Amino acid sequence: MPPTLTLHPLHRADGSATHTTPLFTILAAANGPLEVSRRDELPEEAAIEVNVRPCSGVGGPRERWMEGVITSLLKSLVLVNMYPRTLVQVTLQVTKEPGMGGLKRAVKDVALLAGLGNAAFAALVDAGVALGGTMVVGLGVAREGEVVVEPGEKELLGCGSVHAVAWGMRGEMLMAESAGRFGVEEWEGVAGRLRGDAMGAIKNDEEDGDDVMDGEVGQKEPWLRQALGESVRDAGAWRETG
Amino acid sequence: MANGTTASSGLSFPRETFAKLTPGPYLHAHLKQPSSIRPNGRQLDEHRIPTVNAGSLTHSNGSAVVRCGDTAIVCGVRAEILLASDLPHPPPDDLDDDDLVEHLGILVPNVELSTGCSPAHLPGNPPGPLAQSLTYRILALLHSSDIIDPNDLRIKHLEANTDEDLPDEGPRQVTKAYWVLYIDILAIALDGNAIDTAWTATMAAFQNTILPKAHWDQDREMIVCSPRLAEATGLRLRDMPVASTSAIFTTASPLKSGDQAESWVLADPDGFEEDVCAETLTVVLVSRRDGTKSLLRVEKSGGAVVTTDLLARYYQYWVTSEAHSALA
Repeated sequence: MPPTLTLHPLHRADGSATHTTPLFTILAAANGPLEVSRRDELPEEAAIEVNVRPCSGVGGPRERWMEGVITSLLKSLVLVNMYPRTLVQVTLQVTKEPGMGGLKRAVKDVALLAGLGNAAFAALVDAGVALGGTMVVGLGVAREGEVVVEPGEKELLGCGSVHAVAWGMRGEMLMAESAGRFGVEEWEGVAGRLRGDAMGAIKNDEEDGDDVMDGEVGQKEPWLRQALGESVRDAGAWRETG
Repeated sequence: MANGTTASSGLSFPRETFAKLTPGPYLHAHLKQPSSIRPNGRQLDEHRIPTVNAGSLTHSNGSAVVRCGDTAIVCGVRAEILLASDLPHPPPDDLDDDDLVEHLGILVPNVELSTGCSPAHLPGNPPGPLAQSLTYRILALLHSSDIIDPNDLRIKHLEANTDEDLPDEGPRQVTKAYWVLYIDILAIALDGNAIDTAWTATMAAFQNTILPKAHWDQDREMIVCSPRLAEATGLRLRDMPVASTSAIFTTASPLKSGDQAESWVLADPDGFEEDVCAETLTVVLVSRRDGTKSLLRVEKSGGAVVTTDLLARYYQYWVTSEAHSALA
């Protein structure tokens, strides 16, 4: 089941999105470009601030680490040079997470990163911040030599390793976070599989998928392209009626 | 010039000024030479050799100072007793042994950078995002690597049978308390690559950690530790993971076309290189006693240079390199 993406659930933020997978629901809000405090101001580019709010309680070291990872991911995606001396602010609130029941924290955290990345990206698109391209963060687990993409709680429980990999539209790897015990071939297998799925999610329907990895079978529907395309159509609907 | 240094010609300035004014082009000017020597004199794949001084803190159960170039990190391990009766959520009986440490939270790392270790971290300030994320990364590594046998952290007691029990059963072994290990990591000096050095310091301190022999005193109803050093046992580590970080310097930019972009992978970056490079790659490798090697963690973010092939090549190089055997 592909992730569900709802754009613009919040009306006061510049851009917002809800991203739902079998594991997590994340509400993201993006604002920018904003005025930046003098301490964070960069003379040639926009500063990016990411705030992660956990499902319950206040954030701690774990959230600071996630914020750091998502910030550097967004920094490589947003065209920061277009907005010098400003701030792009992304707030990510986890609204649903799987129950703790025996799930290793490190595994759960890597799984959450995938959702945070996708939600932040969708919110930035909705906010109209200039981006260098499209990206998808895929999540996969390896258990006994078998790869499961977009795992549910059950698959996550007994997995040997978990991998969150962000792929850009030109097939470049923007982020990779893996935890568990795994070999390098296993890692390459999961990353390759996630790449195929990411390319599938942003594939253009009209074109023949030649640039998509050869020999990739069982392509997923281009869920990201559909979700973004719908929002563009909705935004331009007034032209038709007027 | 008045201070006696040789006067430089009109439009040139010394290399320190060049590095301060435009760090990016300064690093690029070094790397684009055919031999690619980094400003600090190292080769691209050359790590700084760490020096380890174990057991330097006398009042902790285990400690180590690791120095890696101009990065120096001290790690102290302090063991405290947690009574099982004090646990708000006792571990369920069916809990896997490997999950016990995480369930109880009996490994508590804390990274402190506000010691005046570098100009970027003001002394006396609360832990910043970098210190907090280092703490988290060390904790996550400790949990996912399972290097400590939970049985080493249990204080057990043979409980004699009471009348209510079946008469034919022998004495039961119950866990009366747990050792909690507080792992305090302080940066004395920081010149890049904090995670590798902090992790090495943690491992070295663990190897040096000694837990006194403790037993449950039935009459006094408390844990009593033996003061005799001969009875104390060292903490056994199942294996010894090694963390290795690289920074990636690239000339690629959304302002330029991507064709002419060049990139270099710099192993074990120092503070100057870390400031200039946006993309970093951290790999944690572990080799088991039987010789099988596996990865525990891959962390990469900040750019688009690292590809799957690069990681595989990096891994191959690393498996074969002597640096690993020297560390392990």
